[in-house]
Amino acid sequence: MAESMKQKYFKWSLVSVSSILASLIFLFPLLAATIYSLKGKNGQGHSFDNYLWLVHQDGFFPNLFITLKLAVLAAALNLVLMVPTMVYLNLKGQRFKSIVDFICILPLIIPVVSLAIGAQVAMPSLLQNTEYELVFFFVVIALPYTYRALDTSLQTVPLKTLVEASRSLGASWTRTIIRVIVPAIRGGITGALFLTFALSIGEYTITSLLHWETFPTWTVVAAQQNILGAIAISVFSFVGAVILLGTIALVSRKSSSRVEVEE
Amino acid sequence: MEEVVDSRSVRRLKTNRWTGALPLLPFFAFTGFFLLWPVIAVTIRSLKGNKNEWTLANYRPIIHSGPYFHAFVTSIKLSLVTSVIGAFIGALFAYVVVKYAHGKFGAVLDSVSAVFANSGGVPLAFMFVAAFGVEGIVTTVLKSLGWDIYAGHFTIFSFTGVVMVYSFFQIPLMVLVFKPAISGLRKEWSEASINLGATHFTYWRRVAIPILLPSFIGAFFLLFAGGFSAYATARALTVGTVPLVPIIIGTLVDGNVISDQANLGDALAVGMIVVATVAMSGYIWAQRAAAKWRNQ
Repeated sequence: MAESMKQKYFKWSLVSVSSILASLIFLFPLLAATIYSLKGKNGQGHSFDNYLWLVHQDGFFPNLFITLKLAVLAAALNLVLMVPTMVYLNLKGQRFKSIVDFICILPLIIPVVSLAIGAQVAMPSLLQNTEYELVFFFVVIALPYTYRALDTSLQTVPLKTLVEASRSLGASWTRTIIRVIVPAIRGGITGALFLTFALSIGEYTITSLLHWETFPTWTVVAAQQNILGAIAISVFSFVGAVILLGTIALVSRKSSSRVEVEE
Repeated sequence: MEEVVDSRSVRRLKTNRWTGALPLLPFFAFTGFFLLWPVIAVTIRSLKGNKNEWTLANYRPIIHSGPYFHAFVTSIKLSLVTSVIGAFIGALFAYVVVKYAHGKFGAVLDSVSAVFANSGGVPLAFMFVAAFGVEGIVTTVLKSLGWDIYAGHFTIFSFTGVVMVYSFFQIPLMVLVFKPAISGLRKEWSEASINLGATHFTYWRRVAIPILLPSFIGAFFLLFAGGFSAYATARALTVGTVPLVPIIIGTLVDGNVISDQANLGDALAVGMIVVATVAMSGYIWAQRAAAKWRNQ
């Protein structure tokens, strides 16, 4: 009895201490930035001026458009490259798994700054002259996350059985992948897709070191004129990211729970 | 006769091995060109002098004391401090989340920490300026309560400021990385040790902590590598007031600082790869040690 009382105390104090700590560390800066961004002209009153200021800046829509375009391309290229690779690895290429696994961890090991410098040295000028070169590096940066997302999801489905069934019914490989495997690992694919997209729209390091202008680099330049506007856009992109990733979490939870039910 | 058969079957095995890799060709070609080739190219150029001759001269400023050596020290110090803070507070949060946050609330916390862990970008810097800048909300509130945080040496653009900002993404990263290890603690283990007469304290000291330790160390190394490589936040926040290696590389690339050694930036970039590789080897080693428990 005394033991369980003690445990309750322990639990209560642990939860409250970490809640207070968490709100100090995370909630306060977020709240402060939100309040700050809603300040009116000359710090008087409250308004959405700072949010509107940004929208009215010259580079807003062009840069937003470029960023979205690059992010969509990166997410698409990522899937085209990684879905067949991961399916093959889990189906027949088991002995190559450790090397692919290792290569996919490399982007976490190689600092993005170093990769950017290397890209400047190594990429042919044909590629360096177009902003589309960023797409390839966004895919590289997303590799560690894509690998995990797809691998986890592939391991939860009976891949061999699905493929044998589909093939013996006369479906081609392409058809098997598109009609059977892709729907089965929907959760992992959505996860990989959104992660690549989210990483790409926020990417700053490679973009700025290769001297391209996208939405994040443009924000930094805009901030030099109006720090309030920069804070507003920061709050906006943060809240946007929470909503985006929250949606992914709920979507992938749903699809993974469905697989569990079927098994 | 037998030998011939043998060598033929060996050859068949070999061709199988290569054709087996064929579907992976796009992957290897892609990562070879966009990941490995840049690293090789920057390493080669870092070994070339101004007249394209082979030399180690570019590495000299890193090893000898001076601004570049100092930058490496500052970068490593920053990563150490923020990953210690991140590892301990993050481990506490991970424990509380695993133990007490279930269902939908747990899923929401998961995605929130994923956002925060990946937030080490430009927005984070501006948010901290809004909170802890000279006219920031938190600064103003604390001042009205009688605590002027700017009375001493503190500014948000200093080393301490960068530590605060980095902790903001290091702690949630720790939660993400360390949560699986805590979930892996089996209830049977604590029950067994309690049944054998151990107190909770003994269970933690003798069972839980030894099991969690490799994962903890591994996560620490991962945080270290992440903090060491981070660029965007520090760049947007400090504009060079804190000398960090990535920032210095950035100024060299932008041509804001001219060095008499043309390929110094390449040597700094390779130096960063070396430090990050050491940290990640620690991570991989610790992961292996941790996997020992998970597979049983």
